Amino acid sequence: MHPLLQTRRHFFQKSATGIGLAALGSLLQGDELEEVHPKLLGLPHFAPKAKNVILLYQHGAPSQLDLFDWKPGLQSRRGENLPDSIRKGQRLTGMSAFQETFPTAPTVFKFAQHGQSRSWFSELVPHLASCADDLCIVKSLNTEAINHDPAVTFSQTGFQLAGRPSFGAWVAYGLGSENQNLPAYVVMVSQGSGNTQALADRAFGSGFLPTRYSGVKFRGGADPVLYLSDPEGYSRDARRRYLDDLAKLNQIQLDNYQDPEIATRISQYEMAFRMQSSVPELSDLSKEPESTFEMYGTDARKPGSYAANCILARRLVERGVRFVQLFHRGWDQHSNLPKEIRAQCRETDQPSAALVKDLKQRGLLKDTVVIWMGEFGRTVYSQGTLTETNYGRDHHPRCFTGWMAGGGFKGGVSYGETDDFSYNITENPVDLHDLHATVLSALGVDHTRLTFKFQGRHYRLTDVKGHVVKPLLS
Amino acid sequence: MLLPLLLLMAARPVEFNRDVRPILSDKCLACHGADAKAKNIPLRLDIEEQAKADLGGRRAIVPGSPETSELIRRINSDSKARKMPPAFTGHALTEVERATLTQWIADGAKWQKHWSFITPTRPALPEVSRPTWARNGIDRFVMERLDREGLKPSAEASKDRQIRRVTLDLSGLPATPREVDAFVADKSADAYEKLVDRLLASPRYGERLAMRWLDNARYADSNGYQFDGERIMWRWRDYVIESFNKNKRFDQFVVEQIAGDLIPNATVEQKVGTGFQRNHRANTELGIVAEEYSVEYVIDRVETNSAVFLGLTFGCARCHNHKYDPLTQKEMYSFYAYFNNVPEQGRAMKYGNSPPLVANPTREQQAQLAGLAHQIAQARSAIQVNPSRVRAWQASLPKDSMQYWLPGFDLKRKLGFEDADETRANAGQVEFVPGRIGKAVQLNGTTYLDAGFQAANFDMEDRFTMAFWAKSSQTPDGTLLSRATDKARGRGFGLEARKGRIHVHFTSDYDDDAIRMTTGAPVLKAGVWQHVAVSYTGSRMAEGVRVFVDGKPVTFKVELDNLYRPLNNGGKEFPEPLRLGAGGGPERRFAGQLDEVLVWARTLAAEDIELLAKGERLPEVDPGSRQAREAYLENGAPAAQKMLWAKLVELEQAREALERSFPTVMVMAENPSRRDTHVLIRGEYNKPGDKVEPGLPSFLPPLPEGATNDRLGLAKWMVARENPLTARVNINRFWQLLFGTGLVKTIEDFGSQGEYPSHPELLDWLAVEFMESGWDLKHMMKLMVTSATYLQDSRTTPELIQRDPENRLLAHGPRLRLPAEAIRDQALAAAGLLNPKLGGPSVKPYQPAGLWEEQSMQNMDYRQDHGDALYRRSLYMYWKRTIAPPMMVNFDASTRESCVVRESRTNTPLQALNLMNDVTFLEAGRQIGRRMLTEGGATDEARIAYGMKLLTARAPTVRELEILKSSLNYHRDYFATNAGRVDTYLAKGESARDLKLNATEQAAYMALASLMLNLDETVTKD
Repeated sequence: MHPLLQTRRHFFQKSATGIGLAALGSLLQGDELEEVHPKLLGLPHFAPKAKNVILLYQHGAPSQLDLFDWKPGLQSRRGENLPDSIRKGQRLTGMSAFQETFPTAPTVFKFAQHGQSRSWFSELVPHLASCADDLCIVKSLNTEAINHDPAVTFSQTGFQLAGRPSFGAWVAYGLGSENQNLPAYVVMVSQGSGNTQALADRAFGSGFLPTRYSGVKFRGGADPVLYLSDPEGYSRDARRRYLDDLAKLNQIQLDNYQDPEIATRISQYEMAFRMQSSVPELSDLSKEPESTFEMYGTDARKPGSYAANCILARRLVERGVRFVQLFHRGWDQHSNLPKEIRAQCRETDQPSAALVKDLKQRGLLKDTVVIWMGEFGRTVYSQGTLTETNYGRDHHPRCFTGWMAGGGFKGGVSYGETDDFSYNITENPVDLHDLHATVLSALGVDHTRLTFKFQGRHYRLTDVKGHVVKPLLS
Repeated sequence: MLLPLLLLMAARPVEFNRDVRPILSDKCLACHGADAKAKNIPLRLDIEEQAKADLGGRRAIVPGSPETSELIRRINSDSKARKMPPAFTGHALTEVERATLTQWIADGAKWQKHWSFITPTRPALPEVSRPTWARNGIDRFVMERLDREGLKPSAEASKDRQIRRVTLDLSGLPATPREVDAFVADKSADAYEKLVDRLLASPRYGERLAMRWLDNARYADSNGYQFDGERIMWRWRDYVIESFNKNKRFDQFVVEQIAGDLIPNATVEQKVGTGFQRNHRANTELGIVAEEYSVEYVIDRVETNSAVFLGLTFGCARCHNHKYDPLTQKEMYSFYAYFNNVPEQGRAMKYGNSPPLVANPTREQQAQLAGLAHQIAQARSAIQVNPSRVRAWQASLPKDSMQYWLPGFDLKRKLGFEDADETRANAGQVEFVPGRIGKAVQLNGTTYLDAGFQAANFDMEDRFTMAFWAKSSQTPDGTLLSRATDKARGRGFGLEARKGRIHVHFTSDYDDDAIRMTTGAPVLKAGVWQHVAVSYTGSRMAEGVRVFVDGKPVTFKVELDNLYRPLNNGGKEFPEPLRLGAGGGPERRFAGQLDEVLVWARTLAAEDIELLAKGERLPEVDPGSRQAREAYLENGAPAAQKMLWAKLVELEQAREALERSFPTVMVMAENPSRRDTHVLIRGEYNKPGDKVEPGLPSFLPPLPEGATNDRLGLAKWMVARENPLTARVNINRFWQLLFGTGLVKTIEDFGSQGEYPSHPELLDWLAVEFMESGWDLKHMMKLMVTSATYLQDSRTTPELIQRDPENRLLAHGPRLRLPAEAIRDQALAAAGLLNPKLGGPSVKPYQPAGLWEEQSMQNMDYRQDHGDALYRRSLYMYWKRTIAPPMMVNFDASTRESCVVRESRTNTPLQALNLMNDVTFLEAGRQIGRRMLTEGGATDEARIAYGMKLLTARAPTVRELEILKSSLNYHRDYFATNAGRVDTYLAKGESARDLKLNATEQAAYMALASLMLNLDETVTKD
């Protein structure tokens, strides 16, 4: 149902209990909290394990082979052509399909087991390794798309082509938000040092849902939300006075026309005013103690960095924002992978791990699902020339690794298996519909019942697929 | 939301189409529909015979007998296993739905064909309680419904509301204070009609209607998908504006959108219309599988055409039979076949337009072209040459002159090898030996000549021609000319001899991003001089390449025709020089002689190349020939005549340059032989099933008599009188434009999942009127905006809101937030900033810094325009699909990634921030403040009233004036006490500030104007 109608329904309920229309404006000013981000009727469907989501999106697709999916047998096969029995004629991208050979490229990075769970991590992610027992690692993620744009669109909306709502938009639509001064779905983008891919707004858009469910982009710098700051030369007091006058004038119009849309507008201006204080307060890390920066790393002092965004993600869920999504760009390592991935990990490993630890120490991890993933994996064979110290990896949709932490996901788990080449899944595949279904389930939502009727069809985030992967949930 | 409609239903007998079909469709047909067979479900509820059939002793529906109908038993069952719909579907029936089904069966279970699939006929106007209220037919239907509901229409809106509403609706701009005054003062009976006629005649009308058509057509200035590079489709956009402005018959417009290219002797304008079919996103990502996207483009066309013209969701039958409508998967692919015969590539051009294209000069350019043609004809006739003078001049030339005729202009490089210093030799010494004309260069299979970077620094979209003479003692083999990396499979372009065959390539990436073509038979022979020329149109397609041997074109086998990136990819200059005798690596050097290497920066005509290949020196050439005449005019004629000739050449060069600058439009075309279409199993591009022919779904009428079974036939079928959908669907969308909601609310779905019309007879009446008026859209718009229904006051009451929150019963006039474009355009117009220029390339007004840079590749940054371009109407804003203009998105504009037909309006805090703090609206506020001060009168009261009039077309009430004055005084005090902030506050936007005005006053008025721009009333049509 359209949120405005909900607003209206709420308003009817009020008027049914005898509060007249004329009083509506003041009513909303005093008591609008439940109006701003209403959840759908009947949601959650069952008792949720988690309330919030933080999706740490590693944009460009990190190599599972160099981070989590340890294949010791490959070391002795360096340079050997990928056996046909493994590739099975599956399609490749146009970038490597014409290669004459597909030389096996074992990782150059050392792997070790960590935590009580003895999960494998490469030396590139020592900080993540240190929270091994909080991570639910899934090595059997797989997707349909082999190129960035459709793959990102698929992982974010459940469909390869444009037009459908993003994961965060679905959650905002279904569950609303508990913070009345901030958007329900917040997105932050940071720039990595590696090879970068374009990021389309649709990755956090609302698709066919009303635009109010789109992710609101928070940006580093003076205007963290577009048009947030009052114009230079204009004070907060002046703005308050301005809004009071505006509300009075709109109220006259409301009395005259009795259109509830006017009441909604009055309340949206009040929310805008509150955002003007709440967002800068939220984005201001200057009051964070020194220990925070030690934990998240020195990058965290740089506004707009991944590390700073990780701190902001924690601050957002602290304030009840339902869905927070980070995009960190630069994981598209077709060549010079060893050098580039090292830099990408330097930017992301410590802050990602710090976020998990920080949430945990604050008691927020149990209510928050943290997801770390990219749009697909990378090939075991080298794209371009393989040398002792250098290689590149092409896109690989058939298996890749992501992890979840908190929010009802089991810690210290490594789920799913791939073959000796990390090419095909041999056990417990988890496709992205399954992942969406499972995260929704942690939020108390039955993915088959979170629907929106459009073009005659009851659409779902999980399209017509998706199974909750119960073993991942505690 | 169903409640009000249900309440009114209760008073009437249950009707299948209105009451029952929606329940069956929404709750049952996902399993018991067209796709039932595939799921091994025996019962179908979408076909009457099957729904009422005896299925082994049980009948789902027994007319007149709910108690024996299995359907009724099952929906009322307490057994979890027997209960329908099953709980897992989440489609539980409501009490009212169960009652409706029961009542319907009790009444005899009368079936109806789905209402929208029946060709509409004109219904009689109904009797109503107050016929005098009606201004035209529309009102009779509206009032009939109101009568049934026991409601009354609202009073007529005041005249200032009338002019504001209709001006915003028909022009997307506010009425000026003068227009408001004139209309209010005009007491003549036809004052309103005159106003409507004026608005319909204004070019602003075409812009206003085009806005929504651009949404329908998913129009944008970029390709979408990953890289999202620029495309140039604004000539199509301008065509749409022009079509609405000249009130082109709407059926003709539809035919042009679908198949303008196939109309016999199609004009450029008609071809341009088919840009509609090419406005879909196009993928240029490196490494995609092109076939996958070839399919997506056609699917997009199917979805867009079915939504825009038919109000149906054909795309739903991509993977399986349609779940709700009687459309099979096979029929979907037959419809798909109409759009699947375009000579296009799955991977689009990374920069610019992807073929097929048509050059579409603007009006201005057309005039320039006609002017040049006229001048050229005049210049030609002014030159009279006496052949005897030519002969005399030829005789005066030295007998051993190496001069020869050269065609026209744009010659970029000429290498005759008469002077050994002409080029830089590489890899050892080359020899210069007697050649075809004078000396030639002798290459030995390891040596080559480097003619430098400037000689042929063309890119893939440039036109050029290269010509030379070649001779080898062996059958020629090796690279003759190239501008390419000197290695095997390198980048660049080159012309190579391969054992006497000629091979031409344009390569960005050898495997997957190149044109490669080779002559079928050997054309170069050993031991003789042969003339070789290659001309290229810059089309980036093999069809743009021609090769001539001894002046005659040779035929080619195209090996790869898949070029999509330029050489200067990502703005990086491709540094390779023109090499003679090399390219493609050391093993591909040419051994032999080359002579008279010529490079032009244009595509030479075949006749020119034919003459050139004669290789005649000027003393030898026939004095009556074109070569002799032109060489004489250039070199031998008297000075005055030489000047005339030079002028003519200059004009021809100017014409060439002009033609080259014509914007193109991506259009439709047909392959010479029809591409096969197959059902795609599960909709997957690489799983072709049965072959299908183009065809129409069986539940809709057949092609009209005499129509061909191709896209043109399809287009004619769309607008045939028998077509039950096109007129209804389109008039419903225009209704939405005025009233906010369609008579069928589900604008995009007239199928069984769509909503039953609120006023079915009215919809049919409008559809028939539309067709019978000759598809006269202005007539229809006028009919709608002159109806009493439209002219009602928009005030409502709590009771009415509760009963009919979306005003579907039309008991009051429309009150709706303005579309994004109108909000901005209104502000610019009221500020006196609006630039009324019609059409042209898209513009880049203010946008917060960094938005593109943060998310795009290759440093694609937003370069904001300045000056007039900042104030163009919003439909001219540059639309980048993946990062759309934020103000437009905040106010619910569609993202143009795919076809959108339903208008949406939300109400968010981001909109408030946008209107309060965006420089666009602050600057507009500054200028409105200036206008209040300079045009509004002498007192605050008068000035405030003027500001309100600019934005709301009315004077403020006493109470409003009081609040506004108080706000003004507050801001006066504020800026007086914060004098240091005045200039900062005023410094918003690039338009000039009126320095004659007191700055503090101006700042106070600017703040007040900003407040007025934020009023609910300002952003709302009431």
